[in-house]
Amino acid sequence: MLNVSLGIIALLLLLNLFNITLPSLGQVQYVLDRETPLCLVEWKGSQESWNDIDNCCLEARKQLECEFNVQNTKFGRVDWTCSTGEGSVSYGLNNKAYRYCQQQSYWRN
Amino acid sequence: MVKNQKKKRSNIVQKWIFVLLLSLVLVLGGLNLAKARGLLLIFPEPPQIVNQTISLGSLTLEQKIAQMVIVHGAEWNMNQWKKLQMGGIHLFALKTPELYQRIISEYQQNVTIPFLVTVDLEGCWNPFSYFKNFTAISEVNTTEGAYALGKEEGHFLKRLGFTVDFSPVVDLEDEIWKCRSFPGDEKEISRLAQAYIEGMQSEGILATAKHYPGKTLVIKDPHKYLVSAEISEEDLYPYLSLTSGSELKGVMVSHVISEGAVDSEGKPAVVSALVINKLKSNFSGLIFSDEVNMLGLKDYYASLEEMYLAVFGAGNDLIINFNDDPNEIHHMIQVVKKGVEEGQILEEQINASVRKVLGMKGFTVVE
Repeated sequence: MLNVSLGIIALLLLLNLFNITLPSLGQVQYVLDRETPLCLVEWKGSQESWNDIDNCCLEARKQLECEFNVQNTKFGRVDWTCSTGEGSVSYGLNNKAYRYCQQQSYWRN
Repeated sequence: MVKNQKKKRSNIVQKWIFVLLLSLVLVLGGLNLAKARGLLLIFPEPPQIVNQTISLGSLTLEQKIAQMVIVHGAEWNMNQWKKLQMGGIHLFALKTPELYQRIISEYQQNVTIPFLVTVDLEGCWNPFSYFKNFTAISEVNTTEGAYALGKEEGHFLKRLGFTVDFSPVVDLEDEIWKCRSFPGDEKEISRLAQAYIEGMQSEGILATAKHYPGKTLVIKDPHKYLVSAEISEEDLYPYLSLTSGSELKGVMVSHVISEGAVDSEGKPAVVSALVINKLKSNFSGLIFSDEVNMLGLKDYYASLEEMYLAVFGAGNDLIINFNDDPNEIHHMIQVVKKGVEEGQILEEQINASVRKVLGMKGFTVVE
């Protein structure tokens, strides 16, 4: 049993070394999630939805931090708020959008 | 007796397999760790520089291509970016001015060619807002106010160690944020942007007008990743006005597929040689690509390699790639190098961009 586990680990390490990666749990969760990704831009209390999720992820990544913070808005529910400080624009993401952002090559915290 | 011997032999074999697999896991684990830290990469030797003069011939093709790339200036990749001799680093939001100063200073230590240090302090996006507030440009409506804001921001950025700000946004319509552009029509926006740029550049910070050719802040079709826009003469007015004024040092090109006054021939503008050459005919400053890891751009190509070749081949001087994996950035450099060697990209085009980049860093460039 121990040898089988080691064999599997060795195989995964070998695949990773040659950039052959298997879908992560987050990716599977993202695919199975039927929710529509939602990104909201917030500036001085007013919100607007932004359909360009890719760009939204990048702008969210530039912020100081993303916090789990559920809000129900006229556009739908957002689960995460990515912000830096009071005097700047911030971004709200639902779980589907947040999981998508986590898969991006620039998203590493 | 025979059964016992067989069991004993089987135990010995299993132990040997265990030792073998364990050694393999340790070796592979070490190799994966080394790869993740970029330790398996081969780095070029830094070039010789005498009296702030660089000979282009002393730079390898890889070094020239690396000088054309701006990466995310994460602390964990500092050694790799230094060894790869990247052209610039871009910093996101941090908690204190001291942290910015320390990171930038460490990046600039012991490098032969300093990094361009870039940031987005633009419109109503302020990465320093945890400790410092600035007026949003949508709230500025006089040239005096725009000049003062540009100067104040430039002074602040210079103090922290930045050299380039990806600002101002000169898109005419801002339907989403409603705070990233100056108020008014194309003439008013151009007038205010000109004053802002003069203020910022008076402090030695290079300003960048974006996002050429316009219409990037409008609400887009949620079902389309490839977004097209009809560009009008009014959209282009700020660029024509700012580039002919010769003050502006940088323009950023977007991923929008443009039609009308600027026709990108069905491609994202950032990979259209037609769009970039037209811009270059009127502007001698630096041309920045927008960040390349966007689905709107990536989905246009069958592979990342094709996209890398296209974005360099189109004529951008500086390519923004925030991929945090040094192996991928190294891969991009190798792909472009191969493209140049195979004649898909002209080396003279790479040289022309590197001359501009090194010139902007204060070097005299000789052949």
